[in-house]
Amino acid sequence: MSVNSTTVNTVLGPVPADELGVVSVHEALLSVLPGAEHAFDITLDRAGIFETLAAKLRDFRAHGGGTIVDSTGMFHGRDLPLYEALSRATGVHIVASTGQGPEELLGGYFLTPQTNPPTPWPAEKFADLFTREITEGMVVPRVERRRPAGLVTTAVSRDGMTATDESLLRGAARAALATGTAVSLRYGDDAAGELDIVRDEKLPADRIAVGGLDRKEAVDAGGPEKIAARGSYVVLDHVGTEDAEHLTDDDRADLVADLVRAGYADRILLSVGATGVAKGHPANDLPYSHLLTAFVPLLTGRGVGGADLDRILRANPRDLLAVR
Amino acid sequence: MSRVNTVLGPVPAEELGFVAIHEHIGYGMPGSELDTRWWKTPEQRYQETVPKLRRYHELGGRTFVDATGICNGRDVDYYKSLSAKTGVHIVACTGFVGGDTALPFFARADVDYLTRQFVHEITVGIGDTGSLAGVIKVGVSRGGRMTNLDKRIYRAAARAALTTGVPILTHLAIDAENAVAIFEEEGLPLDRVLFGHVDDGVNAEKTRDVWLAEKGGRIGFDTFGYETELPDPPFWARPRKERLDHFLRFLDGGRRLKQVLASADANCSPLGWPGVKGHTVNYLFDDLVPDLRDAGLDEAAIRTIFVDNPADFLTLQK
Repeated sequence: MSVNSTTVNTVLGPVPADELGVVSVHEALLSVLPGAEHAFDITLDRAGIFETLAAKLRDFRAHGGGTIVDSTGMFHGRDLPLYEALSRATGVHIVASTGQGPEELLGGYFLTPQTNPPTPWPAEKFADLFTREITEGMVVPRVERRRPAGLVTTAVSRDGMTATDESLLRGAARAALATGTAVSLRYGDDAAGELDIVRDEKLPADRIAVGGLDRKEAVDAGGPEKIAARGSYVVLDHVGTEDAEHLTDDDRADLVADLVRAGYADRILLSVGATGVAKGHPANDLPYSHLLTAFVPLLTGRGVGGADLDRILRANPRDLLAVR
Repeated sequence: MSRVNTVLGPVPAEELGFVAIHEHIGYGMPGSELDTRWWKTPEQRYQETVPKLRRYHELGGRTFVDATGICNGRDVDYYKSLSAKTGVHIVACTGFVGGDTALPFFARADVDYLTRQFVHEITVGIGDTGSLAGVIKVGVSRGGRMTNLDKRIYRAAARAALTTGVPILTHLAIDAENAVAIFEEEGLPLDRVLFGHVDDGVNAEKTRDVWLAEKGGRIGFDTFGYETELPDPPFWARPRKERLDHFLRFLDGGRRLKQVLASADANCSPLGWPGVKGHTVNYLFDDLVPDLRDAGLDEAAIRTIFVDNPADFLTLQK
């Protein structure tokens, strides 16, 4: 490893960026809707969860996958000892994330603190919380800190950005700036406007990935082109999901081909948005490997192959995740 | 048979003795566990907690009702160890301190699901602890008005109380018309509800304690000791004499003695906030009981407030 080489923070420590292989940037390993861990009719069988996730990760690896990014943040089931064991057992690199959002998914500590009046957390406090998950390590609540987070993730409410969503975006941006880590945001109802908030914090465009851009309403609003034109990453993160809200894989592949033709091959990221194990909310049970087994052939069929494909699957996520 | 659910199993109500009806081993807002500024080692938590409970026991305290709801750091295995080692009965709750402390999974749930959650924790157990909840906690979110989620929780609590015979304990008694309407619609007698924090420094003026008592509710003066005289009082503190006068005025020469309960709402070892230095459950013995004696209450009246009323309230009505 030369002195100039960059690294990515994985759950097992820094890994040279060039070793990530094919990366899926918007996935979930264990995904727990906050509170579901207390539900009377939900059990969290660690051995069973491990078995399920290990099988999915091995399948991903068998089809050419190298790295899974658990982009669910710090408060949606993130389980670091489990992910460390999974990475060791399967050989798949796992990048875990800090951050949280949108507002509805936050605990009351951040929204109605024990002060009078109960003023929600401002951007600066979120920035500090997220930054320390990178400089000091990710928390196992009330127990210990583990290794540094590899990505700062947040999301905006679907019916529009709330004041706290904005604090989360700004806090995520500041944490990213302070640490050289990238930001991933799942857009709410205005991808370009929400990106502007992050950019307003002076975070370079190429340190930001905007997810949810394969929603039909995003495409209808020209979202993918707008985000790519601004120099940020366009994340089509529901590959394989074909429902009322999302493009079909055929349309998604057309969109990728169009973006490549428009010169944006270096701005595209792909992901399935699978939930390896979901508790308390509907699962997306597609295999992580769907991207490689089903979607890549659609891309090659449209002439997106070779260097372009390599860029999308390997180089773009590598550049995003490499700590600067 | 008179039974009360404690974390170590049901006990006869006759054994409860002196009861602190609204306390916390440790309370933290959901999410506070992510903020390392509040973290304590297990040694520190036991060190802060055990001496307070042992002293409570030595002074004559026998039962400690923990009002820490689901998602607020409720930790029943920990409570079991504390109870076993100190000899203090600990009653754990199901329910939520307020809608704003219910995490998204429960915030999205309907009344039926919430009812089943509460009933399960009362009749089958809390998580995998095997311990049964002995009270149901409900409350009003910050802001002074019951939210729709608060109302769903109150309605589910009423149904679970009717099904299981466990009583309800409220965090705040403001916006009480809405609460009473829900309990009446569900057919829950109001003597199964302790309307708590009527003495709270922020809300006392707008809390209809007498009206609630006249409707048949039980009334909780249960933030005793949060006094403006403290070196660093919280925002809900109140002058000591003002609270005591309020309590004595409410008793109305003993006419409402059967309807009151008193407690300190202290944290043995707070989880997600600094806590209030110098304020513990032992305020009840060190300060409140002497104050009540000085005010002319006899031993029978004190027994009514701290022994008989809690036993009557906590006894499963089945």
